[in-house]
Amino acid sequence: MDAQKVDMFIMANGKFFESHLVGQIRDRLLVLDDSKWSILNTMQFKDPTVSLIVSLLGGSLGIDRFLIGDTGLGVGKLLTCGGLGIWAIIDWFLIMGATREKNLEKLQMIFI
Amino acid sequence: MLQKRENLYLFLFIACIAGLGWLALNHAEDPEHGLTLCLFRAVTSLPCPSCGTTRSVWAVMHGDFFQALYYNPLGYIVLPIMLITPVWIIIDLLTKSQSLMLFYKRVESALRKRNLAAVLIGLILLNWVWNIYKYVW
Repeated sequence: MDAQKVDMFIMANGKFFESHLVGQIRDRLLVLDDSKWSILNTMQFKDPTVSLIVSLLGGSLGIDRFLIGDTGLGVGKLLTCGGLGIWAIIDWFLIMGATREKNLEKLQMIFI
Repeated sequence: MLQKRENLYLFLFIACIAGLGWLALNHAEDPEHGLTLCLFRAVTSLPCPSCGTTRSVWAVMHGDFFQALYYNPLGYIVLPIMLITPVWIIIDLLTKSQSLMLFYKRVESALRKRNLAAVLIGLILLNWVWNIYKYVW
């Protein structure tokens, strides 16, 4: 794929991924076929900041985990008052990383 | 993080053991006066949809099934999960199978279906309303 296109994608979406992985993502996108460009452009990623806000407000009901697609963990949190309140607090610190991880999983679909 | 079998199993195992430990901690006491760790309740002084689950599970273990239903019906969901999951994990690890992970993924994708999710959310909300009602009156 065109270096210019890839750089444009990185600039627009770099914040949705772990910073130390952005270089690797760029390298992999560069060797990707040009036909995937339109799919890549229409991909929607979850914003880590939004999930942090949701986690602060609705974390003890597991809404943050539902939001990023971890339905199983969301149910677990919902049924236990946010893991007795402890897991809810731990998730304030983990949820942004978890969101970026989910975004990467979604992006990896394009490489298959 | 939970895509790998070992990570998922470790997490579920720790969660179940923590839950059982929590029960053991509250076992001797009168459940009405146990510790409250729920963040939602600490902040708003109203119960969350699953407040009362500890009391409910406690009541089931003492054979008080109707009282358990009154405390919180979710106890009837949490207790089997908490008891079955560790056993299932151990069996899976011994037989080198991943049936629990496949089951977990299947449940997850089933819960993402819009109709089922809507019904379950409705039930949880109803339970929440009932919970607040019980708490206020």
